Amino acid sequence: MFDNLYLGLMAALQPKQFLFMVAGTVIGLWVGVLPGLGGPVAMAILIPFTFTMDPLSALLMLASISVGAAFGGSITSILLNIPGEASSAATAYDGYPMAQQGKAKVAMGLSAGASMVAGIAGVLILMFVSGPVAKVAVAFGPAEYFALAILGLTVVSVAALGSTVKGLAMSAFGIAISLIGVDSILGTERYTFGYVYLLDGISFVPVMVGLFAITELIMMIVEGGTIAKSGKLEGSLWQGFWGTFKYPFTLTQSTALGAFIGVIPGLGATAANFLAYSVAMRSSKHPERFGKGTPEGVIAPEASNNSCIPTSLIPALTLGIPGGATAAILLVAVTVQGLRPGPLLFTSNPELIWGFFMGLLIGCFMATILYLVMIPWFAMITLVRIELMAPMLLIISLFGAYANERNMMDVFVAIGFGLFGYFARRHGYPLISLVIGLILGKLAEGSFHQALQISDHDYSVFLLRPLSATIFAICVALVLWPGVKKRLGKGGAEVT
Amino acid sequence: MSTDSRARNYWREEFALIALLLIVFGGVIVFSSRLPFEAQLFPLVIGAAGILVCLIILIDQLRRRAVPAPAKVVSDDDPVANATWPRFATALLSAPVFGVVFWLFGFYVASLAAMFVMPPLMGYSNWRTMLIVGLATVGLLAVFFPYLVGVNLPHGVVGDWLLERLQSH
Repeated sequence: MFDNLYLGLMAALQPKQFLFMVAGTVIGLWVGVLPGLGGPVAMAILIPFTFTMDPLSALLMLASISVGAAFGGSITSILLNIPGEASSAATAYDGYPMAQQGKAKVAMGLSAGASMVAGIAGVLILMFVSGPVAKVAVAFGPAEYFALAILGLTVVSVAALGSTVKGLAMSAFGIAISLIGVDSILGTERYTFGYVYLLDGISFVPVMVGLFAITELIMMIVEGGTIAKSGKLEGSLWQGFWGTFKYPFTLTQSTALGAFIGVIPGLGATAANFLAYSVAMRSSKHPERFGKGTPEGVIAPEASNNSCIPTSLIPALTLGIPGGATAAILLVAVTVQGLRPGPLLFTSNPELIWGFFMGLLIGCFMATILYLVMIPWFAMITLVRIELMAPMLLIISLFGAYANERNMMDVFVAIGFGLFGYFARRHGYPLISLVIGLILGKLAEGSFHQALQISDHDYSVFLLRPLSATIFAICVALVLWPGVKKRLGKGGAEVT
Repeated sequence: MSTDSRARNYWREEFALIALLLIVFGGVIVFSSRLPFEAQLFPLVIGAAGILVCLIILIDQLRRRAVPAPAKVVSDDDPVANATWPRFATALLSAPVFGVVFWLFGFYVASLAAMFVMPPLMGYSNWRTMLIVGLATVGLLAVFFPYLVGVNLPHGVVGDWLLERLQSH
């Protein structure tokens, strides 16, 4: 083991690899800031350039982009309430209120601390737990995936800010949108009305740009002034960075949740981000502070998405099953280099694998340092007048929606969802529930039908398999817990 | 529209939202009727559940409206109630108008229009700053998007037509 670690460290610390990691991290931070253009998009654009590189340089550069983008995505979430990355969307729920209170630097310090710790933990899990965790992931069948999707929807609907009934309505709306396109089981067209654009369903990026960027932009214009209401910045970066460690339970819980979700193919960092926020809120002693600028509300989503990214590589590298878009692109890069993902890769190319792992570990520190260096400059944005900033954000956001697939229809979809999101948000309909419904809708339906096909249409399959039964039991417990808590007289915050 | 009447219209907004959701969920059920059972099952469940939840919200809203002295619907620090109508209109219309101009005339026209029309509509009057910021922003983005992100700037429907005409001559 130590031989492998030493071998990997030596490989990763070569000047050439180091330069590629720096370049990848800077590119990642850069694109992470832009709404609609996330890490996977930048990786996809740059993958042709890696064909002529050596395998380790190629993998390290691509992985560094992903790590950098995860860090960068939180910058605009906190400063502007506009997530640069879908996987940083929940960070805005408490990060932005902190920025409004003039504590942008503190919030970004919290984000840096949580991201670094969780990223390192994720890489360590990737290094040392790959084998056993991959076996657990294999035990997840369609019934378990369906149960997990229901768990995600339950957690978000019960714990979302605002009314639970409105949360359920938004979840159902999100799932309804996910039904558009070709049905994954039978290949039947649904709700396409003859439009080619709708065949693949409504893309996730314009919906996110609309719901978060355009909605926030409308809110900003109506309010005017500057984002930092006091007109000055309070607190320091380091206050936030070290403040992360004052919440060890939230940090550990969210890191573990993100790492676990990363291992399961199909869920990804966005689901981890939202779920960790909801779980942190439910398990907090002060859930009423969530949504108003509590440090836990920044730590939880940032820890989960950053621990999720490395662990999503576990099924990709050990089994050849990508855990998400990032892992899928890395798999393409591995294959193009003439290598075959799987257990043999660990024995036939230890220098490459361990060099990659050590490179990821170094990348976490590097991304943190670069992020911390850039924060003071980024925080100044909160002092710029909205009259000047709003048009810039409008251009960048809608161009981001367009750039995803170079499709003008995506711009209009983003605008439509932006207007809807504005009115929905004003009347207390939680947008987070819509997003989770959209993410998990297809997974839920596909897994549901697959489970039934495997079990010869026996509906009891969901309750007879121990793992799925356990997950469903957790769903029931989550729904009943607030009532039970009240009856036991333990008080706690009201979940509205 | 005055801010007072806008505040009074809040309940109409909420009912419009509920109506929109009901139409969507109703449509989900109606348009699934010709699908095979497997493809129809989820839409039916989601559509029915959505309608049920919307009806619960609607009943709750109607119950609140029926109370003789309704609770104050707008708080004193509500930015919508305090915003002037040009600002409110700019907030709601800037994205749709930008979208249409972007589609018709492309990136440059839409971006320059946004940078120079939106700030005055929101009451910003420092032309010098606006000019510098506007030109710098559009210039930087025009370099950033095609050369660093790899996405070409669209010329719009009219722009493409004009370019085609110019090339044919």
